[in-house]
Amino acid sequence: MTLPAVTVQDIISADPVAIAIPVFVICIIAELLAVRMGWRGHYDWRDTGTSLAMGLGNTISGALLAGTVTGLALWLWQHRLFDIPVAWWSFALCFVVDDFAYYWIHRAGHRVRLAWAAHVIHHSSQHYNLSTALRQTWTGLFGLTFIIKLPLFLIGFPLELVAFCGGLNLVYQFWIHTEVVGRMPRWFETVMNTPSHHRVHHGTNPRYLDRNYAGVFIVWDRLFGTFEPERADDPPRYGIVRNLGTFNPLWVACHEWVGIARDLARARSLKAAWLAIAAPPGAASGETAEILRAQWQAENTPLSIPAE
Amino acid sequence: MDRMGLLLFSVIGVAVLVLMTRVLGFSRRPQLVDAALAARLVADALPGFRAADTALSRDGSGALVAGQDGRIALVRPFGDRFVVRALDGPIVARAGGLLRVRPDEAMFPETALDLGEAAALRWAGRL
Repeated sequence: MTLPAVTVQDIISADPVAIAIPVFVICIIAELLAVRMGWRGHYDWRDTGTSLAMGLGNTISGALLAGTVTGLALWLWQHRLFDIPVAWWSFALCFVVDDFAYYWIHRAGHRVRLAWAAHVIHHSSQHYNLSTALRQTWTGLFGLTFIIKLPLFLIGFPLELVAFCGGLNLVYQFWIHTEVVGRMPRWFETVMNTPSHHRVHHGTNPRYLDRNYAGVFIVWDRLFGTFEPERADDPPRYGIVRNLGTFNPLWVACHEWVGIARDLARARSLKAAWLAIAAPPGAASGETAEILRAQWQAENTPLSIPAE
Repeated sequence: MDRMGLLLFSVIGVAVLVLMTRVLGFSRRPQLVDAALAARLVADALPGFRAADTALSRDGSGALVAGQDGRIALVRPFGDRFVVRALDGPIVARAGGLLRVRPDEAMFPETALDLGEAAALRWAGRL
């Protein structure tokens, strides 16, 4: 009996996230039991409920809204610069380029308030466990960060290849949302995004704000000056600068959009309106990452007394 | 499985996981054991905040912390964690030693602090 030959085309026609969902569930149960037995980590049933509800809502909103981006991507691909075939080499290239695009999408998600309104959902838990990985946005389309990925289609990467690589990227990021894993081997920590690096990303400590945007390869943060290692003397405090006071999934999904609407209503100039939409989060209240970090550094820098 | 079936299956799956989390005991209510903890939580949440005075609810479920700069912050439980808010024009009601405080913020719940009559009166005046 001969097995049918599996081509790259066959593989990329699968949805990695859909295939991984049963594995996600098994891993969450395993982490729950591990934490119960005393391994490092924390869970709260209300927090987990909200995270999973956000994940479920994300799949529904994704199914409803995906057509918009797909149509735009297809139109751009029809005007592509190169004919890139589906092959192992193009898969590898696409995976790296897609991860590079993810870095900038993620960075924009933290630095532009409109994009943050969609992304903040993922950071709204004060916990950091595998269920937090599934706390995903319902309004990703409106954050407009998908624009950053559009050049891939114009270059000529086929839609299904980019979608497959994007799915693999998301699946990779699941396992790094844990406190159970401490540090990986040094070479791995140097190249790859790891639980340690991503704990920093979810930290609200001034030192950690807006750091480690990587999806799969941490090298992008090292290259573009946004890398920060986790420190034993400054354990991450997870969440957002102004943590939410409710587990209500609807409010979790839309609270920052409401904040933008409120600030737009109060805006008395075009500049104020633009800042409400496009400035970094916290600009209106003087709580941007830079301001908070500078304030913290000023408080924690010992005064030097000049020698006489 | 059609889409509705898949959705139903997912909802049941989420419910089972949440139930399992609760059954395994991840349902702790946090306690503010002393004023120092309340002050530390506020200092972590509000950069530059230095506590000058603290009123701890007798059941350890919340606190008001006044800063050296005149700001007043509320600490209240949220799941097994706490959440902190700097208070700016909150809605305040007092009944004997019970002080009810609600920040001027959508979806932020009211917090009832059992401070004792004298403290409740004093802090109601400060807010």
